Amino acid sequence: MTAGEFLNLLVAALLLAGIYATMSFGMTVIYGVMKIINLAHAGFMMLGAYFAYELYQRLGVDPILGSVLAIPVFFVLGVACYFLLVRWVPTSDQPTLPSLLLLFGLWLVLQNVGYSVWGNTDRSILTPFTLSTIRIGPVSISTLRAVVFAVAVLSLVVLQLVLTRTWFGRSVRALTQNKLAGQIVGIDTQRTAALTFGLGIAFAGMAGALLATLYSFNPDFGRPFLLRSFVIIVLGGLESFSGVAVGALILALVETFTILVVPAGYQVAISFALLVVALLVLPGGVASLFERRGRAA
Amino acid sequence: MSRSASVAGGPGAARLAAAALPLALALLLAAVPLFGLGPNVIRLLFVTLVWVTTSVAWNILGGITGQVSFGFAVFYGLGAYTAALLIRGGTPPLLAFLAAGAVATVASLVVGIPTFRLRGPYFAIATIGVSEAVRVTMNNLAFTGGASGYRIVERVPFNQMTHYYSALALAALAIAVSILVVRSKFGLGLMAVREDEDAAADLGLNPFKYKLLAHALAAALTGMAGGVFARYAGFIHPGGVFAFNTSVSILLMPVIGGLGTVWGPVIGGLIYGTVQEQLVAAFPNLHLLLYGSLLIVIILFEPKGIVGLVGRLARWAAGSRRQAVPVAARGASTGTGVES
Repeated sequence: MTAGEFLNLLVAALLLAGIYATMSFGMTVIYGVMKIINLAHAGFMMLGAYFAYELYQRLGVDPILGSVLAIPVFFVLGVACYFLLVRWVPTSDQPTLPSLLLLFGLWLVLQNVGYSVWGNTDRSILTPFTLSTIRIGPVSISTLRAVVFAVAVLSLVVLQLVLTRTWFGRSVRALTQNKLAGQIVGIDTQRTAALTFGLGIAFAGMAGALLATLYSFNPDFGRPFLLRSFVIIVLGGLESFSGVAVGALILALVETFTILVVPAGYQVAISFALLVVALLVLPGGVASLFERRGRAA
Repeated sequence: MSRSASVAGGPGAARLAAAALPLALALLLAAVPLFGLGPNVIRLLFVTLVWVTTSVAWNILGGITGQVSFGFAVFYGLGAYTAALLIRGGTPPLLAFLAAGAVATVASLVVGIPTFRLRGPYFAIATIGVSEAVRVTMNNLAFTGGASGYRIVERVPFNQMTHYYSALALAALAIAVSILVVRSKFGLGLMAVREDEDAAADLGLNPFKYKLLAHALAAALTGMAGGVFARYAGFIHPGGVFAFNTSVSILLMPVIGGLGTVWGPVIGGLIYGTVQEQLVAAFPNLHLLLYGSLLIVIILFEPKGIVGLVGRLARWAAGSRRQAVPVAARGASTGTGVES
């Protein structure tokens, strides 16, 4: 492998990591506040992809703009799901059996909605940008991937601001750290949970729309990404928002470079192998390396 | 105290019925050839019994131990392929079924050892990944025919009843195992792990070991079910035995019947097995929706499934006849609903 090829792969991995971080974030924030693993994440990503697709096909809205428009729409959808379904399942300090089964059921329903509405043929979004590239020295970057990366990073920056600068963000972080203590100091857990679920779904929808510009999709679209999201948040330490970025980068690097050795069909197996390695070697996630101090037991 | 003496006949009769009913059912199923049923009905019964086995097996891990797995198709499929390869190689079917169970058990350890060591959702999600990874691998594996499937050639004349009885025996074995687990100290340990891992560990049992054992037991039974099915089907392919839908079905049955109970998964399996094909035929494009909404409705309204519903109705009926305190109290205790 020449240095140029190496550099190309590195850039590709970095661009991929941006989207991966966006898609995993929704899962982390929901897990952090509610200790629920959102298995329907994959379903909402799929809906996000079709959302961008329909906007583009019917109204000619650019899919990148479509992905931004997905945020409010999916936020509302998420809040509605919370009040209709998620609110009623018992939660604990780790995912409960009912919550897993409920969201799994929701995922099946969403998948079937996808099949009923759009059929099982693969769709893709082709814009004039799809095949254009930018060349910087030896590195050629797909314009679309660069734009998608920029949108993903921007959304994460906005999110970081929300989490650190607003009362809602502070409640989210407090509940993530210690739910009981959060309640004691007067955080409205119900309201925060509803908003958080909306936020998580909003990110799932947006990530789905962004991914739809890069890959073809069908109603089963989200499944491989569900495992990837999970690997990323495990690598990141389950509840750490900065860990998600690191986890996304690690997975993207591993996936991009193993393509050289392992056939693309086995990519899912790679995510799983990475998960096993992470569990065996680094059960606290990458974040545990940086935050060695405090929080005993 | 005096009141408990006055109703002592009630629970006693109920217990007698609880023991007699399954026995009667087993005798009925064993006597099936005497009724002169057509091969199609027998086939339906065979498939139902295989489903019952997997349902009971899943319940040992998911219901009794409280560890949700979305990947039992892995064990089912591995069992099916192991038995298929061995039977085609000339191994006696019984040995092939045992080997199918053994391979599934080994696979269960591969998934369980890294994920069960930690608390939290690791196991549940990993099972989704594993089933996906295994299916993709089997699609590309050359010596099993890859995605185009594998044909099982057996050098004995086909006799449907042999298959039927092997499924019946396996289902009976699974139910017996499930009863033994629930009544044993081991089963109590599993329930302790489900209710509170920390408390269970404080009492001196090792949750990791218990979860791993429950997983292995469930996997072994599921693998054998896969083997029995493969021998009957004569042809298997990754899109069938390793399909995500298989995992969904295996998890759905105990939820329908009643998680954590002995007879709930049996009832769920019987219902699902007999209704499923008609359902798919009637609504070919809606079965995921059906399964999904069924899961949602059950979890939201009756987490103990049919067994819970029946119990609630019985309590309601008893309550309307007389204020039957002992029955209501027994049902309302946060117990595990082991007695169905």
